[in-house]
Amino acid sequence: MSFEFMEAFKFIQKKTIIHSLDPRTKLLLATIYSILAIMFEEIFILFFIFLSFFPFIIAGQLFKKWIKSIRGMTFLFLLLIIFNTLFSTFSKSISMILRIMIMVSSFSLFFLTVHPDDLMLSLLSLKVPYNIAFSFSLSFRFVPTIAIEAQNIIDAQKSRGYEMEQGGLISQAKNLIPLLIPLIVCSMKRAFHIAESLDSRAFGSTKNRTYYYSISFTKKDWLLTVILIAFFIFGIIVKLFPDLLPNWLFWRFPV
Amino acid sequence: MEKKLENLQILVNHLTYHYPDGTIALKGINLNIYSGEIVGIMGKNGAGKSTLIKTFNGLLKPTTGVVYIENDDVNNVLMSKLTRIVGIVFQNPDLQLFANTVEDEIRFSLKNLNFTKTELENQINLTLEKFKLKKFQNRTPFTLSGGEKKRLAIASIMCRNPKIIVFDEPTIGQDAEGVEFIRNLIKEKHSEGKTIIIVTHDIEFAIDNIPRTILMADGLIIADGPTNKILSQDQILNIGSLISPQLIQLSKFLIDSGFKVPDNAYLKENMIQFLGSFLKEKMEITEGGKP
Ligand SMILES: Nc1ncnc2c1ncn2[C@@H]1O[C@H](COP(=O)(O)OP(=O)(O)O)[C@@H](O)[C@H]1O
Ligand SMILES: [Mg+2]
Repeated sequence: MSFEFMEAFKFIQKKTIIHSLDPRTKLLLATIYSILAIMFEEIFILFFIFLSFFPFIIAGQLFKKWIKSIRGMTFLFLLLIIFNTLFSTFSKSISMILRIMIMVSSFSLFFLTVHPDDLMLSLLSLKVPYNIAFSFSLSFRFVPTIAIEAQNIIDAQKSRGYEMEQGGLISQAKNLIPLLIPLIVCSMKRAFHIAESLDSRAFGSTKNRTYYYSISFTKKDWLLTVILIAFFIFGIIVKLFPDLLPNWLFWRFPV
Repeated sequence: MEKKLENLQILVNHLTYHYPDGTIALKGINLNIYSGEIVGIMGKNGAGKSTLIKTFNGLLKPTTGVVYIENDDVNNVLMSKLTRIVGIVFQNPDLQLFANTVEDEIRFSLKNLNFTKTELENQINLTLEKFKLKKFQNRTPFTLSGGEKKRLAIASIMCRNPKIIVFDEPTIGQDAEGVEFIRNLIKEKHSEGKTIIIVTHDIEFAIDNIPRTILMADGLIIADGPTNKILSQDQILNIGSLISPQLIQLSKFLIDSGFKVPDNAYLKENMIQFLGSFLKEKMEITEGGKP
């Protein structure tokens, strides 16, 4: 079992223009690309949206991680192709895959380049209550910890003869119990420890907090925001008046 | 048992291991372990101790080099066979306890061993008794105390009767009683002829219970020999970030002060005997036992 896919969402410190952007700009980037991906289902249009995202990946030096996340989803893509082709059309399955690739890429860019602390600050600036913002960023902080723990649990169980069994859905689900229960128990223990340590530091005892770090919009951020909004408006216009576009963009597979 | 070729049980040759993320955890390990030995593995965090022991039961496959367990190359043996020969007891029992009852926890470990029903029940009973868990038989493992959980985790490996037993940090977080239990278990399994490997940071435990120690640093073995020799050489201790055990420090101090201390005074019994007879010679003892 591998947790490579999660790697695609784990922050890594780097000095690139993408890393230095304000987290809110990157959140806007991810949101606009996701909305555009949902809005269209034409293969070529989705493909061009996807292509237009590439410069961000290159500028953020995220290509290797990005490839990993896409590779981690090959199984899902296969399922999508099989089911969609059976129950609908092959074209649908391709646009589905493109959509998922766009959304995963844009959000993985967000999580790969936003420090967990800044993540919380950007939620706060969107008027999310502090408790919720804190829990949210805390849970991201623990994704890698839990991945390591899960691996240790698998190792411990395998060492006493546990085997990942083949078989029907029910027997496979049953087979997960020796892994899931220790994972839940360990996570709950950790949660109680964190709660104790928060209490002992008087977390939440006053309304007004002092923040050690701050985030701020710079010229780059404004520039990208304007471009993104223009891009988004262009997308809406095209959606409303599809006649503006050449016909070949609407081509589909015959099946 | 003697260190003869036919007793060689674990043979590691030019072993390296690279984790998928590129970390090189082992950089060329050579090691022989003979049947019936008690061997300690020491070294700083991140030295590669856990990685090394995970290659013994097939959890990790060598990147390059070979590991032979009982004359079989681990690359060519099924993991189900390896885990029968090599039993690893991990540090944290919470990683493995999941069943409804203590009894089921043991039963799970015996599932794939082809026992008949009566053999199975027998083995479960024997194990519960041996590890003083009989009275908890039908209780959930989650309400046991820390020491009891540890005993259960150890029992869930021992019931499979491995020839090679590996403990990862067995004394961490254990109270005096728990440490005593582990000490006795090691003695008992040693007398049954098992091979025992103990990863530990506990130098006092090591000097008392482990005759041979391997010291690792940065993915390599930097020393391999009698524990008392390894734990008394300053240069080695520095590299391994270790402090020598109290009795070795005391022996050194006495030797430096001109006393003739026997070589084996790093063991408590010997030091007591030496100091006792020395003091008796020098001081008269009155009837009440006080000088
Ligand atoms: N699953 C893993 N993925 C990547 N690197 C790892 C993994 N497990 C351990 N390491 C790294 O391998 C090295 C050796 O680790 P380990 O064998 O656990 O050391 P020890 O048990 O001596 O503390 C360390 O640098 C550690 O960070
Ligand atoms: Mg370790």
